[in-house]
Amino acid sequence: MKPTRLLRWYPRTWRERYGEELLALIQDTLDEGRPTWRLRLGVIWGGLGERVHQAVRAGKAAAKGASSGWLTAVIAGSTLANLPWNLKAPLPPARAWQKTAAFDALVGAFAVTGVVVLASGLVAAPAFIAFLREGGWPKIRRRVAWAAGATVAAGAGLAGLFLGQRSMSSAELSHSGTYGAGVVATTVAIVAASGLWASAATATAKHLKLATRARAAQPLLGAVTLTAALAIVPANLIWLAATESSLPWLVVGVANLVVLGFVSPRMIGRAVRLGRRLRAASGRMTVNPSAQRTHGRHRF
Amino acid sequence: MAPSGLRKANDPPLLILVSLADGPKHGHALAKDIEDFAGVKLGPGALYGAITRLVERGLIEPLGSDDRRRPYQITPPGSAALAGALADMRRVTRAGLARLGLDPA
Repeated sequence: MKPTRLLRWYPRTWRERYGEELLALIQDTLDEGRPTWRLRLGVIWGGLGERVHQAVRAGKAAAKGASSGWLTAVIAGSTLANLPWNLKAPLPPARAWQKTAAFDALVGAFAVTGVVVLASGLVAAPAFIAFLREGGWPKIRRRVAWAAGATVAAGAGLAGLFLGQRSMSSAELSHSGTYGAGVVATTVAIVAASGLWASAATATAKHLKLATRARAAQPLLGAVTLTAALAIVPANLIWLAATESSLPWLVVGVANLVVLGFVSPRMIGRAVRLGRRLRAASGRMTVNPSAQRTHGRHRF
Repeated sequence: MAPSGLRKANDPPLLILVSLADGPKHGHALAKDIEDFAGVKLGPGALYGAITRLVERGLIEPLGSDDRRRPYQITPPGSAALAGALADMRRVTRAGLARLGLDPA
């Protein structure tokens, strides 16, 4: 079997990226007089393994996309669906503190999310400007255009909902099919915009030459953003519990908060350790081995 | 599996990172170097399988080349992953040698 035919065992995308290199290596190895049957068997095995790996990776990417979309839908949907009622509902003084605390937490979570996303952009700004100056805009133009379009649609939806909830009472909102459809459509637009911006950011990041400090800051910024975004769900639930005088909603909200309180410090701690390792690696010879210890796990 | 893929001393990803720690190399030079310092013969299929995973994880990156033999270099995250794996191995090695009475320290 000719070496070029061996490449057929690999997926097409892999062949396009690594095919020529692998052929050169096979040729070099054959020139050394290695047993060809073992080499060919190894290449075939590698090709089959690559096909399995790509299939598994595609499945994981689909699952990750679906879970991110679902999470965004829960956050956006719960906020949009509850906000008008929560704002309009009169509360007895005994539960007013609960409403105030949940509202403050909600505003705080949105503010922190916005500030951290902005900070992430500022940290990457010098590398992004350099990327644009080198003519990189055409590489990301379509993705950015789609994301901007979805953002405009989400903004229009939010404006429509705002006007609707100002002109209607709680009872009218409850019975308005148009308003309900608007909440669903706006939630879908927010999910689409989030997904498209994430896709555009991922595609752009592949081209950026980030400074070490900027690269080291990204894991922490990502963990704080996710924590703040996740905090929106329990804040909404506790607010809803105050408005509806509902013990079950309060229990679910507090349970969400407890889970977040357990998961978030671990997530942020891991991001801090990763940032330290990245900074240490920038000056390879100054790596502190004790800072590298992860008890058998090297998370990158 | 840990995301870096570095589990044991004869893992192809670890051997490749060690080989690249002193400078960029292309596939054939990597295979020869690994055979020299570790006594492990990596075939083209195994070598490029490991290279693919390391590139995906951002632990190594290709360098520009006009030749079909494209060289690769270790990245800062790759150096950090290698340092972490080697520190862990050193800890286990020291403990094992000490318990066997083979380590004077």
